[in-house]
Amino acid sequence: MRFVRQALPTLALMFATATSLAAQNGTIRGSVTDSTTKQALTGVTVRIDALQREAQTGPDGSYTLDVPAGTHIIRATRIGYAPQSQSVTVTAGGTADASFGLAPQASLLEAVVVTGYGTTRREAVTGAVSTVDAAAANVGVKTNVDQMMQGRAAGVEIIQNNGEPGAGSQILIRGGSSISNTNDPLYVIDGVPVINVPTEPSSYGVGGTPALPRNPLNLLNPQDIASITILKDASSTAIYGSRAANGVVLIETKKGNRSGGPTVEFEAYVATASPAKHLDVLSGSEYRAFVEQQVPIFNADTVACRTAYPTPADSTAWKACFAAADGLDPKHLANLGTANTNWEREVTRTAYTQNYDVSFTGGGENTHYRASLNYMNQPGVAIANGLERLQGSLSAGHSAFDNKLRLGVNVTTSRVKNTYITFENTGGFEGGVFQNVAIFNPTRPVQVSDSTGTHYYEVIGSTSVRNPVALANQISDKGTTTRVIANTSVDYDLATGLTAKITLGGDHSGGSRQLYYPNDNPVGEALGGGLARQYDLDNTTGTIQTLLTYNKPFGENNTLDVLGGYEYNKFASNLFMAEGIGYVTDAFSFNNLGAARTRNDSSYAQDWKLVSFLSRANLGFKDKYFVTAILRYDGSSKFAEGHKWAAFPGLSASWKLSSEDFMSGGPFSDLRLRVGWGRQGNPGIAPYQSLVTFAGSSGANYPWGDASSNGVIPTGNGNPDLKWEQTDQYNVGVDFGLAGNRLAGSLDFYQKNTSDLLLNVQVPPPAFSSTSLQNVGKLKNSGFEASLDWLAVSKPGFTWRAGLVFATSKNKVEDLGPYTFLRSGQVSGQGQSDQWSQRIMPGQPLGTFFGPVFLGVDANGHQLFRCSGSSGGCVNGETITPQASDYAIIGNANPDWTAGLTSQLTRGKFNVSFLIRAAVGLDVFNNTALVYSTKGNALQDKNFLKPALTDPTGLHEPAIFSSRWVESASFVRLQNVTVEYNLDLPMLTRNARSARVYVSADNLATLTGYSGLDPEVYASAGLASRGVDYLSYPRPRLVTGGIRFVF
Amino acid sequence: MKRTFVVSSIGAAGLCALLLVPMQGCTNLDETPPSAISPGNFFHTEGEVLAALAGVYAQLRGTVDDYYNLNEISTDEMVVPTRGQDWYDNGTWLETHRQTWTASSPATLSFMNGAWNTAYAGVARANGLLDGVKNSTVPNQATMEAEARYLRAFYYYVLMDLFGGVPVATTSEIMPRERVTRDSLFKFIESELLAIRPALPVKWDAGNNGRITKGAVDALLANMYINAGVFTKEGAGAGGINPTGYNACTGVTVVGGTACQAAKDRADSVLLSSAAYALADSFPKPFRSDNGTSAENIFVIKFADEAGLGLNFVMRALHYSQFTPGPWNGFSATSQTYNAFDSLDRRRRVFLVGPQFNVETGSPVKDRAGNPLVFTTTIANVTNATEGEGSRIYKWPADPKHVAQDNGNDFAWFRLAEMYFIKAEAELNGATGTPTPLALVKAVRARAFATDTLSTLALADLLRERTFEFAGEGKRRQDLIRFGKYTAAFEFKPSVTDAHLILMPIPQGQIDANPLLQGHQNSGY
Repeated sequence: MRFVRQALPTLALMFATATSLAAQNGTIRGSVTDSTTKQALTGVTVRIDALQREAQTGPDGSYTLDVPAGTHIIRATRIGYAPQSQSVTVTAGGTADASFGLAPQASLLEAVVVTGYGTTRREAVTGAVSTVDAAAANVGVKTNVDQMMQGRAAGVEIIQNNGEPGAGSQILIRGGSSISNTNDPLYVIDGVPVINVPTEPSSYGVGGTPALPRNPLNLLNPQDIASITILKDASSTAIYGSRAANGVVLIETKKGNRSGGPTVEFEAYVATASPAKHLDVLSGSEYRAFVEQQVPIFNADTVACRTAYPTPADSTAWKACFAAADGLDPKHLANLGTANTNWEREVTRTAYTQNYDVSFTGGGENTHYRASLNYMNQPGVAIANGLERLQGSLSAGHSAFDNKLRLGVNVTTSRVKNTYITFENTGGFEGGVFQNVAIFNPTRPVQVSDSTGTHYYEVIGSTSVRNPVALANQISDKGTTTRVIANTSVDYDLATGLTAKITLGGDHSGGSRQLYYPNDNPVGEALGGGLARQYDLDNTTGTIQTLLTYNKPFGENNTLDVLGGYEYNKFASNLFMAEGIGYVTDAFSFNNLGAARTRNDSSYAQDWKLVSFLSRANLGFKDKYFVTAILRYDGSSKFAEGHKWAAFPGLSASWKLSSEDFMSGGPFSDLRLRVGWGRQGNPGIAPYQSLVTFAGSSGANYPWGDASSNGVIPTGNGNPDLKWEQTDQYNVGVDFGLAGNRLAGSLDFYQKNTSDLLLNVQVPPPAFSSTSLQNVGKLKNSGFEASLDWLAVSKPGFTWRAGLVFATSKNKVEDLGPYTFLRSGQVSGQGQSDQWSQRIMPGQPLGTFFGPVFLGVDANGHQLFRCSGSSGGCVNGETITPQASDYAIIGNANPDWTAGLTSQLTRGKFNVSFLIRAAVGLDVFNNTALVYSTKGNALQDKNFLKPALTDPTGLHEPAIFSSRWVESASFVRLQNVTVEYNLDLPMLTRNARSARVYVSADNLATLTGYSGLDPEVYASAGLASRGVDYLSYPRPRLVTGGIRFVF
Repeated sequence: MKRTFVVSSIGAAGLCALLLVPMQGCTNLDETPPSAISPGNFFHTEGEVLAALAGVYAQLRGTVDDYYNLNEISTDEMVVPTRGQDWYDNGTWLETHRQTWTASSPATLSFMNGAWNTAYAGVARANGLLDGVKNSTVPNQATMEAEARYLRAFYYYVLMDLFGGVPVATTSEIMPRERVTRDSLFKFIESELLAIRPALPVKWDAGNNGRITKGAVDALLANMYINAGVFTKEGAGAGGINPTGYNACTGVTVVGGTACQAAKDRADSVLLSSAAYALADSFPKPFRSDNGTSAENIFVIKFADEAGLGLNFVMRALHYSQFTPGPWNGFSATSQTYNAFDSLDRRRRVFLVGPQFNVETGSPVKDRAGNPLVFTTTIANVTNATEGEGSRIYKWPADPKHVAQDNGNDFAWFRLAEMYFIKAEAELNGATGTPTPLALVKAVRARAFATDTLSTLALADLLRERTFEFAGEGKRRQDLIRFGKYTAAFEFKPSVTDAHLILMPIPQGQIDANPLLQGHQNSGY
């Protein structure tokens, strides 16, 4: 404390001196243009590095900077242009002019890269980093950041869970490093890490797999995003240490502008969405025709039976005679309805999305600000669901003491209202809305009228089929999240090059979920006469970051950047649920739990902490050789005593070959070689798993004397050795530029070795639960990534840019501890309990399909499978009852390679761009076809998929998982096409400085051999399961029309 | 100047924070779960110990799942036919009935593994309580400890019955442990039961009924003694269990004499405890939802009509339309078992056969195709059965106050009728006692027949009688093994299976998890 007492007066003195120095200033003004097209460039950063002072050019390309008198080096940078510097001398009170004409180049080579806890010049970057041009990516309907990254960053594989508005995504950066842990990257917004957990409680399910969480980043308005940077290799992510094993996504939001005066931007768009592909089920008349064709077969087959047994008897022989008959019993004719219902059309619609953005930017010499407001209303292509978002954000910055002190505030607040489709993923084998679309009898009507009025048609007494329209319309499932993310930072330059920074961050979300299953619907009836639930989930994260940075040029073109800091994160969450069962009326919906016959409630709370010490040093020598060393020391409360702390180092270097004399005159305008190594962790586990804990729950209660007594049971074994899952990653990369950097690219090879994998492992009993979370197993990912960017044409009135990203990766399980295999990829549907489609096995990748090998169908309509030996009726290597020993590897859900191709063409006032994505060599298990393309559904008067009509599989054959249902799912998708036009009609646009109209189309066409709805699937059933397609919310085709004004 | 002062204050404060925060002990990472408790700060009051004891009891509910299903479906009593698209389930159900399982086949990975984990979780909960109360002194502690030890003994009994000798632990540490012999596991359970008996009451008051009594100890011992010819043997083979003949209790010595005599004595101990137990005056009573106070039931799993606390037998057997919520239309009785019953035997009424009704409303029900639902006694094709094939055991009728699938009928693992049968069987094996075996069995049959014509009782008759009395009560596998009939051919299992199937395989995953089990799988697997 003595130190502090002494330091305080010293500091105060420093402030006083700093203030007195801020007297004689001058002004630098100028404008920036494109050197080839001669057009003004907006959004150019004009910066004086030595003073940490910068400005952005406005719509007319001009900027203003207030600086102390003297000579300064000004640098102008913008994505897609080669940076330029010039020296300007300003006199006190005078004005100097410094204009730039920037030469366009490939946009991959942006000048400044956000690298975590700061920015770095592109030349000094030593790790593998991808950047996404936020402006180019924000086309069409984009609800979150994930959608903006899709197809635009090499080695970043993103599959949106389904087509429901606001759906989350599965993200794999370089293949995914964990089996049971999260594979989500770490998101850092404006320097503050975001705890990426669901903000809304999950719904009530009747079976099936857990509901997929919403995308927590739905709170950010894509329009507010200035840049997205993806740190991929360990040497760049090591600065985020324990949370970085899956990569880091750095998001910077737009900030205010210190010059150019206030600017108002307004954008509005309207989009129409419709299902991109239709499910191929029988129509009402086709279904009728099928039954009418099958009944005579049954009648013919049973002539002998009816002669032998004129009256029904209860004997095995009588039963056997009829049961052996093919075709459908005539009673199914009587069950045919007269309607012709296209259930898919009944539950889908063309939906209209509207989105409005307003932002207001401005600033002066010492203060800048940006405020924005967004409203979005996105109804789903299925009835009765959608997403509505109201979002506002505010950022402001202020500098004082001649820019030695810099204050910043960012606040983003949003309210997202989700209306969910019932039982998405949680409907069990009775199914959700889309499963029932596939099977509900098309000869039956949506609604019927009788003496009690008009109501939805339901199959009486049946729980295995439900009217999908009634499910969607009658059952309420709503979620609302209010979230505020705020951070404030103070930077102070203690001395030349030495800066101290404190950031305080807060993230609070309040999520609620409201459900009602009405008595009117058979689901609600079966749940006890109407069931209502209300949930509240409250998440809070607090972050404190303190950083000291020192950067100093020395000698000739040598630089040193050193950073040291401390970070503290605390997360707390609590959940409350109340439930009412049994209502006399459905009128209350979920709004009057007190009116229920019985009520239940529960609550839960958890918290955890992450504390870090971090350091980084960048050394640049002669502007050619760069070395970065990182050491982060992280402590997490989640791990066992004695294992809470771990060090995460990273070391990398780059060599700018093109600056060497021996390279001069060669084809390369830029050539850099990078090598790196680092270690990262993955703490994505629930807290308290190292402890033995006891808790009360209804499962622990026991009714002595018929009155239930409260019980307490151990809830977990606790693992006193629980520690970090660690990933070691090596990376070798090359960055190059050709033809004056008009063609640029990056090539990267990597290998990731994950060890101490966190897996729930069977423990030797007796134990409180049969498994415990342990560090066993190893996983390896290796791959190659390439990004190419090409400025093909750049002349007045005509610019054409094209980009390509390509990635190939191999994933292999090296070791599974005590296990020979783990089952994954649970099969869904009727009669599929305990059936798994995938095995995680040493020597094989995650997502390996494992099952019987289908050979064909025999003359009796039985499916034949490959077998060996003589067990289980194996004849000539064929069996109709495959045994476990006959199972083999039947597919791999990982693509051989993925690619994304972008092109942007500007001709006159038109701007045309497109994005094509492709994945090749992957397999998908078509669970939908397994359980729905079976004619046997007609035995229960259920519909089925049309291909079954022509396949020879017998009517009585059960659905058996096999290689038959594992299909190649390679695809090429035209993801987006956008046409933009710069409006130049003063009578329309009045005093707008610029105005544009555009039309954009998403998910226009997909080229694939896959027979299901969509080759990109994510069913999430089981450990690290990949590539399982079980009928889910279809991805829509979207056409967007929008207009943008800048005033 | 004022502005300068404000800004410099902010700056100064910020810098202090920068320097101070890391020093202020913000590196404390201790964990305290807010919604759970640590064993160290629990077990301080009688209420806390009782709550932990409820948790040990609660695990009993799990024994009517996989353990019960294996005892029924792997025998001639029940089968789960594949019904079109329903109940194929990776072949597990028919694999169980046909006894074609192996150490890593689907049924083993699912049912045997489930039974193993369920029983051991019960053991672990009991050990957790017994460890936790070591340093406590609370009222009625001795009785509660005795109850926990009884339940632990019962969970070990389940493991002994299915798998033979298994690792035994009496403390909470999780560690690999070696298998013990089946005989020493038998002796461990026996010694535990004898040790705790004095601390248990003869009867509990109404508010506590369902808790462990001296009678429950005696009933479990009587059952173990009558099965001593099986439970003390490691498996089939020379000197082991006879897979094709009767495995008598004679020749086995237990604490208190020969096993047969001890079985009879223990049965008598319950039978003569007239203050506590009596046969119900009609057969259905011990099974109905109001059976909570039945004087016939000795060791029960208490079920309640509350979410998650009820019995769901109606769901497993009944047709989709016979109950709300819709049952699963699975478990059926074989015609072999149904047909074995005398048509005059009132106990045959537990089977649902013929035209069917909703069990709650009484109205006739239809199958999914719309025809009247009729349960036939036969199943023509077990791999492709219709909705109505197979009779259903409906011994525990639906609870009128059920909450969804949760019914309040208690399930008795031991009821007084079995004590009559054990005593009779012991006497047939040479134990001395009165009355005669025939008289004992007739005493139970009295409520089943208007006129009972049974006149002789040999061992074979006793097994038949056990079918009639205990069908669906999870006893069949044990009975068939004792009588040497488990691996014989029966309906839908046409061929005689291997003797090693008398013991279930230890699921492969359990062997993977415990290195000391490697190389110690039951023989034949």
